[in-house]
Amino acid sequence: MTPVARAPVDPHVTRSRSGQGLAGARPIGVEIFACGSPDRGDDAVGLVVAEALERSLPAGARIRVVGQLEVDHLLDVPPGGAVIVVDAATGVRGGHIVELPLTGMIGREDRLRPRSSHALEFREVIGVADMIRGRPLEGRIIAVGGVRFTLGAGLSPSVARAVPRMVNAVRDAVARLRT
Amino acid sequence: MHDLDGTGGSGLGGSGLGGSGLGGSAPGDLTVDVAGLTRVEGEGSLRLRVRDGQVEEAHLQIFEAPRYFEQLVVGRRPDEVVDIVARICGICPVAYQVTAVHAFEAGLGITIDPAVRALRRLLYCGEWIESHALHVYLLHLPDFLGYPSALELARDRRDAVEAGLALKKTGNRIVEVIGGRAIHPVSVRVGGFSRTFRRSEIRALREPLETALRIAERTVDLVADLPTPAFTRSGPLVALRHPTEYPMNEGRIVSTAGLDIPPTAWTSAFAETQVPWSHALQARDLDGRAYLLGPSSRLALAGDRLHPLAAAALTRTGLATEIATNPYRSVVARAIEIVDAVAEAIDLVETWAPAADARVPWSAGPATAAWATEAPRGLIFHAYELDDRGLVASARIVPPTSQNQAAIEADLAAFAPSVLGLPRAEAVLRLEQLIRSYDPCISCATHFLDLTLEEVS
Repeated sequence: MTPVARAPVDPHVTRSRSGQGLAGARPIGVEIFACGSPDRGDDAVGLVVAEALERSLPAGARIRVVGQLEVDHLLDVPPGGAVIVVDAATGVRGGHIVELPLTGMIGREDRLRPRSSHALEFREVIGVADMIRGRPLEGRIIAVGGVRFTLGAGLSPSVARAVPRMVNAVRDAVARLRT
Repeated sequence: MHDLDGTGGSGLGGSGLGGSGLGGSAPGDLTVDVAGLTRVEGEGSLRLRVRDGQVEEAHLQIFEAPRYFEQLVVGRRPDEVVDIVARICGICPVAYQVTAVHAFEAGLGITIDPAVRALRRLLYCGEWIESHALHVYLLHLPDFLGYPSALELARDRRDAVEAGLALKKTGNRIVEVIGGRAIHPVSVRVGGFSRTFRRSEIRALREPLETALRIAERTVDLVADLPTPAFTRSGPLVALRHPTEYPMNEGRIVSTAGLDIPPTAWTSAFAETQVPWSHALQARDLDGRAYLLGPSSRLALAGDRLHPLAAAALTRTGLATEIATNPYRSVVARAIEIVDAVAEAIDLVETWAPAADARVPWSAGPATAAWATEAPRGLIFHAYELDDRGLVASARIVPPTSQNQAAIEADLAAFAPSVLGLPRAEAVLRLEQLIRSYDPCISCATHFLDLTLEEVS
């Protein structure tokens, strides 16, 4: 297996200190769920990041472009696997990247909202999947604050500038989840 | 709960019972502001004000950004439009695609192969199954069973959530097989499909559908026994009615008020208006009456066209009459329609044989193209003018939720006095539950805002 270099810590990335991995568990692979819509401004950032990652995908990682994240996607992750959800978010400064554990959305009372779920809130998608799988899925959400989600608009300048840092953040997270 | 190290949003929770304000100041007063309605598709809010027992204001505020799809398709070819309109909604893209494709085929005089027609109906069955399963189990059931969300429901009633997910997966699978992908399918084309289908790949749907049928029938029994608030609404119901089939792709537009017009003639009976509190246009009939679309309306107007298995399930509930008048019973109507869609899908899968002509040739040209179909949430209408080159010169797309807005507000106003004696949290929950009864898709409803540019010299 090719070792993956750990990305340097990006001072612009806000990362939760908790949820660094389950003791004793070694994920057999990391599924990267790229969420968003290509025609809705900053909502496309997950897909842009996926495209950049595909050019040199970290070992042990697989990208799935899912548009909106559904419970089924998480139920399909093999036992022992880990996931990274890449998305745009509202409730966080435009262009600012946040990283938190998958379960980090459950119980939150601030306005941070990944854009990737539709009808069911993100915390419900994660929570229901965990409940049915019988144990929490290991993984991270890496999201960037969106500025505009207008139909037909491209990425806003601040989100476009954040893409390389998002790519690094995902690579870094893959490496951490696999060690 | 994990910390974001001080960044990100702060403070205001944007979900759940976000009610605030003046409730309880006097026995006949109630003010409800639910800033962010949960378990609906899209972003909307509820504002209700009752003073001395009289409803002063009942507004479903839809503030999600409008999307200008009707302008976006101008200058496009019909086949491009079919793909573009599918992007209006991630829950019901098939409804937009199929309505558009029927409109163009009707306008251009294209006759499709019966096997293509059957596959389109199967595709629509898939969307009904996934959309209704999501709503019944994950969006609406928590209200009836006293859970704040699907998360808490899953903790205690894992069986119910798994049943809903299994149904949804079956619907997704159908859309994926026929549409090419589960969300925003890409295979529908004017005159047919972009690809041919093998009998074996369609037949492979049979097994999951058989399992889904058993779950769907149990679903009817589950929801028919739910404790349900008493409420009798008034106002016309509107749906398609087909001579032999339960309405989906085709039929005439009929109403409980005696309307009976072709699916191309929606504009002859209804009109849209802008209201200041909503980004979505509201629709009323030409007499100014709010009307209701959706599963309850379909059952009331075309219940005699149900698949025999669905008809038997409806009879078993004994709720056919109440479904037509109590919006809280729409959860039962949706469950009946899941049985109908699954049973019909099994029949279609069983009898389908490849088309002699998977995509009939056609020529673009000037035409007036219009059609109505039945989306999971109710009747959807499209109209297009094609210019001499066969490109769209103008478009009109009327989704079900924007048509239901006025009825939802009228029902909220009629129902609100009955919750005045309840504890505030319970009153707000009943009102939110009522809104969820219509399964509003706010993302769809805001497809258009009548934009006027005023030049000041």
